Amino acid sequence: MLFTHAKWIFTAADGDTRRILPATKHYPFDPASGNEGYMGRRKKIVQECERLMDEPENIRNIAIAAHVDHGKTTLSDNLLAGAGMISDETAGEQLAMDTEEDEQERGITIDAANVSMTHEYDDTNHLINLIDTPGHVDFGGDVTRAMRAVDGALVVVDAVEGAMPQTETVLRQALREGVKPTLFINKVDRLISELQEGPEEMQQRLVSVIGDVNELIRGMTEDMDDVDDWTVSVEDGTVGFGSALYKWGVSMPSMQRTGMDFGDIMELERNDERQELHDRTPLSDVVLDMVCEHFPNPVDAQPRRVPRIWRGDDESELAEGMRLVDESGEVVFMVTDIGMDPHAGEIASGRVFSGSLEKGQELYVSGTAGKNRVQSVGIYMGGEREEVERVPAGNIAAVTGLRDAIAGSTVSSVEMTPFESIEHISEPVITKSVEAQNMDDLPKLIETLRQVSKEDPTIQITINEDTGEHLISGQGELHLEVITQRIEKNQGIPVITGEPIVVYREQPQQASPEVEGISPNRHNRFYISIEPMTNDLVDTIKLGEASMDMPEQERREALQDAGMEKDASQNVEHIHGTNILIDDTKGIQHLNETMELVIEGFEDALDNGPLANEPVQGTLIRLHDARLHEDTIHRGPAQVIPATRNALHNALIHGKIKLLEPMQDARIDVPNDHMGAASGEIQGRRGRVDDMYQEGDLMVVEGIAPVGEMIGFASDIRSATEGRASWNTENAGFEVMSDSLQREKIMEIRERKGMKLELPEAIDYL
Amino acid sequence: MLTFIGLGLYDDRSITVEGQEALRTADRVYAEFYTSKLIGATVEELESAHDIEIEVRDRAGVEQHPEEMLDAAESEDVAFLTAGDTMISTTHVDLRLRAHDRGIDTHVIHGVTAQTATSSLTGLQNYRFGKATTLPFPYAHGADGLPASVTDTIDENRADGLHTVVYLDIKVGHERADEDEYMTADVGAELLAEAYPDLVGVVVARAGSPEPLVEAGTMTELADREFGEPLHLLVVPGECHLLEADALVELADADRDTLDIV
Repeated sequence: MLFTHAKWIFTAADGDTRRILPATKHYPFDPASGNEGYMGRRKKIVQECERLMDEPENIRNIAIAAHVDHGKTTLSDNLLAGAGMISDETAGEQLAMDTEEDEQERGITIDAANVSMTHEYDDTNHLINLIDTPGHVDFGGDVTRAMRAVDGALVVVDAVEGAMPQTETVLRQALREGVKPTLFINKVDRLISELQEGPEEMQQRLVSVIGDVNELIRGMTEDMDDVDDWTVSVEDGTVGFGSALYKWGVSMPSMQRTGMDFGDIMELERNDERQELHDRTPLSDVVLDMVCEHFPNPVDAQPRRVPRIWRGDDESELAEGMRLVDESGEVVFMVTDIGMDPHAGEIASGRVFSGSLEKGQELYVSGTAGKNRVQSVGIYMGGEREEVERVPAGNIAAVTGLRDAIAGSTVSSVEMTPFESIEHISEPVITKSVEAQNMDDLPKLIETLRQVSKEDPTIQITINEDTGEHLISGQGELHLEVITQRIEKNQGIPVITGEPIVVYREQPQQASPEVEGISPNRHNRFYISIEPMTNDLVDTIKLGEASMDMPEQERREALQDAGMEKDASQNVEHIHGTNILIDDTKGIQHLNETMELVIEGFEDALDNGPLANEPVQGTLIRLHDARLHEDTIHRGPAQVIPATRNALHNALIHGKIKLLEPMQDARIDVPNDHMGAASGEIQGRRGRVDDMYQEGDLMVVEGIAPVGEMIGFASDIRSATEGRASWNTENAGFEVMSDSLQREKIMEIRERKGMKLELPEAIDYL
Repeated sequence: MLTFIGLGLYDDRSITVEGQEALRTADRVYAEFYTSKLIGATVEELESAHDIEIEVRDRAGVEQHPEEMLDAAESEDVAFLTAGDTMISTTHVDLRLRAHDRGIDTHVIHGVTAQTATSSLTGLQNYRFGKATTLPFPYAHGADGLPASVTDTIDENRADGLHTVVYLDIKVGHERADEDEYMTADVGAELLAEAYPDLVGVVVARAGSPEPLVEAGTMTELADREFGEPLHLLVVPGECHLLEADALVELADADRDTLDIV
């Protein structure tokens, strides 16, 4: 178990020890539990879902998002049980949505999973399509992608811990996609039974949690002119409380309906009459009512969300079809996830924005030529996929046959502007090599690695067919561990993995003078200079607020808002990573048809920086002038690429380029007597402790340390604190390494990569 | 001393007598065949015909690392060979300038080039040619389809009533292909037909060989024909003088009605 707090979920206060189910494949429906029998009930639900799919007004597409261990998956199970899809008794321990074996073993959710259910609210039956999302920082990409498919996000916060770093991250991911939040405060039973808090104390705590979450929402929606006030409040009914473990919940509307006030609830909880509490005010009713009442349906949501996530012509028929959620319009399907089914093969799941998906359709997949034929369409029921005739606009669909699709693809019946690429806030910070133990497995391993990167675009795979040693880069140690385990277990390929390797960056520290790049035949010359970019500009690119996919006018404005001069913003020729190329030349003949090669040279130089072949970040390149040979043949790739590549490296060296290392924010909750050991674990890793304070009965240590030093942190902190600490880390971007470590680290990387062990003479500042 | 010697158009006998004498007395002989190539003779045939040893340099060996050749030229007589002429349609003036930088004497012995052969074989007058251009393989020039520099050149020349020589790409030792690749005139015509389906072109194939071929037709027609062994080039005639038109009809089998005669 990675997070010690997870234990209490499964250990009831009265000594009734619950445990995670053994790691066996299970079904979300218990065949023995219902009178109607498993198949009968399931069939009914599918039929009802199919009927409701055609009524977009009664559909809610939602995600549950939270900090790790705040109880998302347990809550999801409650909702399924409430909708009659798993038995009441097993909700909370069934973890129906954690379908991968390793998820159930670890007790945390790794991949986002989907499920559809029905709920009656206000005398109308509603179809609720739910996506469960992981909370651990290592899996942030899944969260971002899930948000694209939904219109509402139920944010779950632990009453004891309050809003945590990842609460902020998931909220930001939701709001950027135009997804409306509501709040559920979980684990309230702990305040009552464990911490023995009185009503005043408890109210104070809950109000402060709501206040913290609202402050985040307010800050993030300030500049969004397409939303009203999205803060949550108890009075409006956009906040619920309860215990996912004991399956009870309460909200302002539910109190009015059931006549139970908080006093009644505290009494029952204190007296350990939780079954009665659940019977009288079940969690699923409270939450599903809140979902139906406060989350927008697709007809309300799409007109607002489509302009946020799609940059196509808003006057076109396609735009109209998406705004109206038109089930007879052209098919527009946004793929948010690719899963693997041992029988059906790849399954693309995502949101149907327009038209209806049906078997046999020939659809375009963005970024690829030709069409793919839909082999089947379906919806999700717990861990299983249920085939249906068709899935109309406004729903979450599971489709087979789209062999070219990857997570993030736009699939459509006519060729169209693809949806904006789903931006991932986190970049890979750690790499591991993977080798097949058995040479015969090599082709299968390569195939599996390709599959992995299709399923999870936050994973980067570098395949080296010559050495057979492939590199997987991801969000953290755990992220990579999970991926390699899946290769071994699911694919049965025994692999040898290398030590985790940290991904570094290179960045210039000052502006360079103008530098000349000369082609090998000396007939072509390029004049460039570079300068480091401001953090504002870098963030603007990282967040996808300025990209080459968007209309020029918008990109220009976004860059100017981030502080770029007007002239420069008008001359942006290319963006690569977080680097920008400005073309300041005027009227140079033939430059247009040479530009692609110029860019290729620059990209090569940026992907492999001059210090240690690590990626360059945050660099503004200005092309001032160029002299080109008259004939294409003498300004081909062999001439232009080396000229621009060498010029850029040269300029970067003049700009005093330095090595940057990835950092991680760490927060450790630990009993007072282990505080010294805990802060020592950060300080001993070239880290810095920023804050220490009391919270409840625990001390909180907050600090920051290099990712490279954090490898092995999990086991070290456990032994240093006798297993009493719980902690959390979050990637915190890159920082320049101290001068005294630069040369040593650069040489270490160069040696690992088999590069020459001497730096170019011009690098005399390190 | 560094002597640049053009080998001429086709085989070991296409060199001038002056060139042959300089070649046979040189202490060292370097050559490059990435800009063009003799189709009628291999390097070995060249070596045995002239009783010399040739060191063939690749592009990097000429452009990025010419030091070895220049070092030798400081104390010995070094010959540097290319097909055609060493200074036409190649970039070797750079090598000559580098030699001058080091105080090395240089000398150029001319060879017959495709440019003169084109005038000679088609009857188009050399006074009436505009800028020449090279049509690259689509994968090699870093832009989509037909590069603008090619169409711009043809358009500008035609606006002035001038003929255009369109050299066809040669890829020697390119990473993409195992064998050397020569763009043939039908492939070139097919590319040009994207922009000029009905424009008349004249194919010149194997200039300098015992069996040269000259053939006219619209780009669309030429795209469907075959012209045999390389090297090929294309000419886009501009306005034709009466005698030029007569020559194209007689020598290239052109349809007089398709020509722009002034």
